[in-house]
Amino acid sequence: MDWLEEELRRALAREDPPAGFERRVRQAVAQRRFPARQWLAAAAALILAVGAGTGYREYRGRVAKEQVKLAMRLAAASANRIQTHVRGVLQ
Amino acid sequence: MKRFIILICCAAAPLVMSGQQAKLNLDQLQAKASEHLDLNLNATTLQFAAKFLDADDPEEAQIKKMVSGLEGIWVRHFVFKASNSWTQADLEAIRAQLRGPEWTKIVGVKSEDEDETDEVYMRTVGNKMAGVAILAASGKELTVVQISGPIDLDALATLGGHMGVPKFKLPAQKPK
Repeated sequence: MDWLEEELRRALAREDPPAGFERRVRQAVAQRRFPARQWLAAAAALILAVGAGTGYREYRGRVAKEQVKLAMRLAAASANRIQTHVRGVLQ
Repeated sequence: MKRFIILICCAAAPLVMSGQQAKLNLDQLQAKASEHLDLNLNATTLQFAAKFLDADDPEEAQIKKMVSGLEGIWVRHFVFKASNSWTQADLEAIRAQLRGPEWTKIVGVKSEDEDETDEVYMRTVGNKMAGVAILAASGKELTVVQISGPIDLDALATLGGHMGVPKFKLPAQKPK
């Protein structure tokens, strides 16, 4: 056996992994998965916030609309009453 | 420098104030009323609400058109337990606030027994209509409407016949 054969045999010899290797691999995989979950959670929170914001804006809009309609209804009723009152006096 | 800033602020204040319409003080009526409604809608609220008014709905489209150029609407509606709870002195206190140079009384109708009083005041700034104030008092109710900005009173009165508000009709005249 020449020196080259000896070197190759030594380099390719079967070797057991060091202690805790499997645990470290699993941990690394788990850590890799975690950021994806974080992104998902952040996206969900963003969608929820945007949805809630839009819903609240819609609600405020509806309230404002009803207030304007009520104000105009009262103003219109007063104006109409006065117009009728004036016509009654003129006739 | 401070003095200069204060001087500029003092000089600018009347100019800023002239464009605004002061809200009428009606606290004395609130104390007497059994129920009261207070609606304060500034330009921001009006423009925001206008976005939600349906242009396909005839009444809402009309309101949308009317409020588009307005700076504010203030409505105070009082309901009293007994008739004539409001007095002429109460009305005079309101009139006193509408006696400024910008205000002109354009309509004033009073029933014989003084149970009903209707008045309309117009505010003009530089020959331009800048708002109206409506004072309508009858029986157990008193309404004060203040509109800041140009408004078509005829269109407003016409609106009174829509929106579930019955249009007031005069009784048929007896043949002479």
